[in-house]
Amino acid sequence: MPETSNLNIAVIGGGPGGYAAAFLAADLGMKVTLIDREQNPGGVCLYRGCIPSKALLHVAKLIDESRHAKNWGIKFGEPTIDLARLRSFKEAVVNKLTGGLGQVAKMRKVQYVRSDASFENSTTIRVARNGGGEEKLSFDRIIIATGSRPAVIPSLKLDSPRMLDSTSALDLKDVPGTLLVIGGGYIGLELGTVYAALGSKVSVVEMTAGLLPGADRDLVLPLHKRLEKSFQSILLNTTVTAVKEESNRLRVCFEGKDVKEREQVFDKVLVSVGRKPSSEISGLDRTQVRVGQRGFIQVNKHLQTDDPAIYAIGDVVGEPMLAHKASHEGRTAVEHIAGHKVAFEPNAIPAVVFTDPEIAWTGLTETQATKENREIKVAKFPWAASGRAVTIDRTDGMTKLVIDPATERVLGVGIVGAGAGELIAEGTLAIEMAALAKDVALTIHPHPTLSETVMQSAEVFFGTSTDLYRPKR
Amino acid sequence: MTEFKLPELGENIHQGDLVRLMVAPGATVAEGEPVMELETDKAVVEVPSSVSGTVKDVLVKQGEKIKVGQVIFTVENGSGGKRVESRAVASEPAKSEPRATAPTVSKTPAKAANQAASASSTTRSAAATVPSESVGSAEFRLPELGENIHQGDLVRLMISPGAQVAEGQPVMELETDKAVVEVPSSLTGIVKEVLVNQGEQIKVGQVVFTLEAGATSQPHAQQPSRADGSHDHERSTFQAAMRSEGRTEEQALPPDPPRSAPVAAFSMPLDLDRAAGVEHRGPVAAAPHVRRLARELGVDIHTVPGTGPGGRISEDDIKLYTKMLLASAVSGTGQAPATHPRQPALPDFIKWGKIERVPMRGVRRKTAEHMWEAWTSIPHVTQNDKADITELEQLRTRFGAKAQEAGGKMTVTAIALKVCASALKIFPQFNASIDMEKEEIVYKQFINIGVAVDTDRGLLVPVIREVDKKNIVELAAELTLLSKKARDKKLAPADMEGGTFTITNLGGIGGTGFSPIVNYPEVAILGLSRSSMEPVWINGKFEPRQVLPLSLSYDHRLIDGADAARFLRWIAEAFEQPFLLSVQG
Repeated sequence: MPETSNLNIAVIGGGPGGYAAAFLAADLGMKVTLIDREQNPGGVCLYRGCIPSKALLHVAKLIDESRHAKNWGIKFGEPTIDLARLRSFKEAVVNKLTGGLGQVAKMRKVQYVRSDASFENSTTIRVARNGGGEEKLSFDRIIIATGSRPAVIPSLKLDSPRMLDSTSALDLKDVPGTLLVIGGGYIGLELGTVYAALGSKVSVVEMTAGLLPGADRDLVLPLHKRLEKSFQSILLNTTVTAVKEESNRLRVCFEGKDVKEREQVFDKVLVSVGRKPSSEISGLDRTQVRVGQRGFIQVNKHLQTDDPAIYAIGDVVGEPMLAHKASHEGRTAVEHIAGHKVAFEPNAIPAVVFTDPEIAWTGLTETQATKENREIKVAKFPWAASGRAVTIDRTDGMTKLVIDPATERVLGVGIVGAGAGELIAEGTLAIEMAALAKDVALTIHPHPTLSETVMQSAEVFFGTSTDLYRPKR
Repeated sequence: MTEFKLPELGENIHQGDLVRLMVAPGATVAEGEPVMELETDKAVVEVPSSVSGTVKDVLVKQGEKIKVGQVIFTVENGSGGKRVESRAVASEPAKSEPRATAPTVSKTPAKAANQAASASSTTRSAAATVPSESVGSAEFRLPELGENIHQGDLVRLMISPGAQVAEGQPVMELETDKAVVEVPSSLTGIVKEVLVNQGEQIKVGQVVFTLEAGATSQPHAQQPSRADGSHDHERSTFQAAMRSEGRTEEQALPPDPPRSAPVAAFSMPLDLDRAAGVEHRGPVAAAPHVRRLARELGVDIHTVPGTGPGGRISEDDIKLYTKMLLASAVSGTGQAPATHPRQPALPDFIKWGKIERVPMRGVRRKTAEHMWEAWTSIPHVTQNDKADITELEQLRTRFGAKAQEAGGKMTVTAIALKVCASALKIFPQFNASIDMEKEEIVYKQFINIGVAVDTDRGLLVPVIREVDKKNIVELAAELTLLSKKARDKKLAPADMEGGTFTITNLGGIGGTGFSPIVNYPEVAILGLSRSSMEPVWINGKFEPRQVLPLSLSYDHRLIDGADAARFLRWIAEAFEQPFLLSVQG
């Protein structure tokens, strides 16, 4: 095993995967260079993804609740929206977090290079020099963490300020009167929710038969119902065939069996049809790194590429493209470089959709189990029976456990409802610890909280739920 | 359907690397026909089939490690036609009801053969039906209880003649080294005879009781087995242990691994299989730190039986399993993996370019271990000498034809065998071993000489027995045969055991001398290099003579330098004056 403290490593890309890797490497005594285009570490997640969108979604939720408050006897006037102020709040959030990461990098003595990187060979990369020009740096190991970027539909490519992707939508230039969101995935629904709360009439068009394709339908249903009210329209089984710009508007053509109006006009169109790995790194062909057909860099379970000196982590190596997956991979890669016998082998990766209600799941989903023909038992606890859900007037939720009938082990957890994203962590821990439904049922949960619903769904499995009567199975 | 399992290959050989597979699904095999080549620590062996029929499924892959007892392939229309077999069961394991359609009785050794896979929660395993020889005299034999558990003391017997037993019903309590387990019956019927007594030691495979004629066995559901045979043993231990807790197998066993991992949602499916190239066999019932521990220890966690609820694997389970593996390695091969030579840390080669790491397999690994052992435990000295073989060469040419008639080749090595055998008789300390533990010298009263053979698989040393009792022509024939066997990968492990001295001849390649390493636990080895014409001072002038360089390495603990010089001189003289052999040898 090489002396790890002497290793000199570079991390290309400063997102949650990259900086997690860089910081751990520094903590393990390696000499670390972190390379990114932005002024500070953070990557898409902090600059143009999870973080700014969550700041805006927080505001959207407040607006929504202020409107809802009249049901509880509190009446606010229609909110006036100071877009400039809202933008600066969002930017302050981003700056605070990315600036903080910059500080932490300095404290850990991580060399931060603001540049693109290109490969000279397996261990040498070219970066921009601080005072201008370029320099070549050599390393013992290099970790590629270049992430992903919004996918585009070539036929709908239109060079217009009215065409948005997730990045420009988060810039929040204005609040369009009407907005079409192409793609019913989580990014489109989250951003659609923000714009709808701010006053846009939002329509969403999805190619498949339901929103959030792949997620369990019973989790999506409460969200779908709510979005039907807050959105102008939800067009399913529908594809967009053309977008044309005409005097201050965009004319969009639809096609599909359920289409009623073949053409509609919108002020703006947001394309959110997924993300593509950023694996087109200059000079990568001078290494042994292999890029797969869908653009993902091929790695083994230690996150090592075909080039033994090069590792790759995060969105650029595969689905799910989630920040928390990337950071775990980043740390695993560094531990492997340090000579530890480790592998990326989670039993569950949680996923959260920050809509209202939120949807979250972890481990095995019902959809997946059905697809694989696996025998499972599902225990559901509807939030209508949760005291806490009633107190916040949000009974549009449900918690369910996917259970192995043979061992009664919890294999998956799915939650829809307010704050589902916070609740899912317990499910992931249960799966990783190989908890049985009995363990979950026997764990005292605080009352009255929504977290009780996890315990209560386990009780439902045994037919002994305190709060929910079910006839004997 | 019949299964062909890897048969016993020899003492202390538990597994081998599959070098070549000679069968494929659909092929016809006959009993005795070689079906694969297996490389064990000791040799490459051809394994003949013990079954005949049409190959249905081949369950192993080239390059894989195969354990004794592991199923290699299954055949249909199997040998003998002795089976009372229900094809319906074989082909529709998921649908048919084995109780009704397979009234067969097992008379085969317990193992897995008396269990038929039936409708289990997952249907991917092919059904193994129940082979039987005769319906009516069913025997219940002690099944495999787990890795390295071969027997147990009968603590409590729960049946008696005339009693009704049902499949799954506990019939006795057995105390093994590890635990007291209840052993469930795999048969249903009326007990005819009980062949064991309380307090008795019962071995795996021993007949415990027989059933009345006409009784039926109930093939019971068996979880699909994984390729790893040992896992099945653990499963059955686990099964037995869990039954003793009053739980059913279904409740107790860990879940079967899903074919692929959880997936879900959006445009980004949560597909762990593909995520980061993870080789995913389903969520293991172990906490993350336990999985890491397994990795640190180099244990495949999927093979570790979990003792916790739902088959949860604890840190202790991992440690215990690892200990067990080590223990079995020690008792099994007489050599713990831990005795691998410690070596200084390797540099980080990747810094200087691409490298490829290849597992050291069979012969190479064994050679590496053996050489290291010999080199580190024996204080080596090499004595060099030269033999004038001018006259011997003439004789060799003259008598070459005789050897050829006998099917051999009159080589220098063949003659060296005879020469060495004679020398060993005169110098018995060269035909000995040292027992440092007991502070004794072991003189062997037999002379078996190993000959190093260079094969494309590596160095092999077949042993020629009782060399002193054979003439050169016989030795030549035997040497030719053994060399051919070595190169054809047909050497049996027994062919390479029991040597007392070794000859290694590099003359065919070249060189003027080398220091061979003593083949432990022997104490000396003779190396022959290439003979060449040299000017030799004879009777006041140089004469061209054919000279053979000899290199004798010996264990200086037992052999003094002067003895070695005398021994080698004697050998050189015997080469020079073959008549010496008749006089002294």
